[in-house]
Amino acid sequence: MSREPYHELKARQRIAAIADTDSFREILPPPERLMSTYLPQLGIPVSFDDGLAIGHATIGGTPVYLAAQVGQFVGGSVGEVHSAKLVGLVKSAARDRIPCVLLVESGGVRLHEGSSGEIGIAEAIRAVFACREAGVTTIAVIGSDIGAYGGMGILSSCCDFRVMTEHGRIGISGPIVIEKWMGKNVYDSSDRGLVWKISGGKTRFILGDAEVLVDESAGAVRDGILSLLGKSAPLDAAALSARQTALEQRVEKFGTATHPDEIWAAAGITDVAIATLDTAEDFKATLPKTAP
Amino acid sequence: MSTDELFAKFFGDSASRIEVVDNIATGYASVGGQEVCVIGTVDGTFINNAAALRLARHVMECTKSKPGLPIVMLVDSAGQEPNRTAEMLGLAAYFAHLLSCLEFARRSGHKLVTVATGKAIGGAFICYGMFADAIYALDTASVGLMPVEAMSAVTKIPVATLQELSTRMPALEFGAAPFALLGGVKEVWPTTADLVQKLSDAIRTASSEDDRAATGKERGGRLLAFDVQQRVLAESSR
Repeated sequence: MSREPYHELKARQRIAAIADTDSFREILPPPERLMSTYLPQLGIPVSFDDGLAIGHATIGGTPVYLAAQVGQFVGGSVGEVHSAKLVGLVKSAARDRIPCVLLVESGGVRLHEGSSGEIGIAEAIRAVFACREAGVTTIAVIGSDIGAYGGMGILSSCCDFRVMTEHGRIGISGPIVIEKWMGKNVYDSSDRGLVWKISGGKTRFILGDAEVLVDESAGAVRDGILSLLGKSAPLDAAALSARQTALEQRVEKFGTATHPDEIWAAAGITDVAIATLDTAEDFKATLPKTAP
Repeated sequence: MSTDELFAKFFGDSASRIEVVDNIATGYASVGGQEVCVIGTVDGTFINNAAALRLARHVMECTKSKPGLPIVMLVDSAGQEPNRTAEMLGLAAYFAHLLSCLEFARRSGHKLVTVATGKAIGGAFICYGMFADAIYALDTASVGLMPVEAMSAVTKIPVATLQELSTRMPALEFGAAPFALLGGVKEVWPTTADLVQKLSDAIRTASSEDDRAATGKERGGRLLAFDVQQRVLAESSR
């Protein structure tokens, strides 16, 4: 099992650590030179994979379609080519009835490509639901510093399941945008502890937005994925009704809360300071069985 | 145009059955004799956790009590408000829930038709409007990721540069017409058109197949997306 910290790995290293040894076969790899046509006109360097590696792999012997976003390239942002590769992969998963695992690391739509990436994400969301309709497992893995923001935060939340580490964050508006909008006295984006507690893996797990919380190692992330392969989250009237109630109760309970510690306390965490430092496994052990 | 005037253009007198609370519209109405479910945003409002829940609840109510009724989604929203509490509560999960409810409706036989009537910007368009079977926009609508001024503020690329580029790159231009060139909008409707007829036809012809990439290529606004998607689909089956 790989002990390397997942968040420190780059996209293809993550793939290597999570897929079975030598099982990854990349589709349209960098030598194909699928590049953005927008960035050169803005004087910005391009990447031969447009910031996304996609391909076939096996995980624990199970065939999967695997995608990994390259956070180092324009923040893992979703441009036209990037989104088209993603849509193609997720559609392939639905067609072939092979689970789809997305290693997400993205600030969302690539602003430099405007509405093109926005439509691309909307197409990818449709493709995710096509998988779900076909009973094909979709898993978003969020364990990087960049996390899953904007449209990618929404897309990740549309998958059957989310595997997160403490380092992962899901959101729509990022902390810097919120700080600009609300003021530094309301949200200090340089307060990393606060930022991660608002959007990070532990709080998302407590609230039920991430189904699996794992330790920082790539091996633990792989185990998290393995625990979900072959499963599906129901999308029927009963499940949606239950979710509606849960989300309404969340607004009622915490809609006026100012600090995520209130959510942690309501979850039955008695020593927030210690829980903050806990590993994911220790953290889960301190949580009572019932969610807030 | 006021909300009442706008709604009357689509739904005539039956618009009175649509309730607007905190700029979130829900209800039922009639389009040329066809009963429809209506969800929407008005006056460029921000869409937050409570708004997403309100829209989702109405969609679920419709799938339960009026099976198969077409769902018309009107969009006039500036996006999600950047808000600390909204994010802490998990706004992405709220939007995903709304999309899940719409997906369930689609699978249950409801047609989904969107009309962008005002602002249809960023996340507010992704979280329900862009999920429709068929997406339309009024010619006066502001559709797109963001105006070039906002794009410039974040990317630090001068407004003049973006404006110049947008003349040959519709993805960078803000508005209903360029968005249609990308395939994101099927057709732009003049506000002076017979909108009852337009919407009736849109409902009748709506198909759940997502043809936006092909349309974007055909119209020359989004040249790579369709081909790249097809290449991945071809390569993956080898």
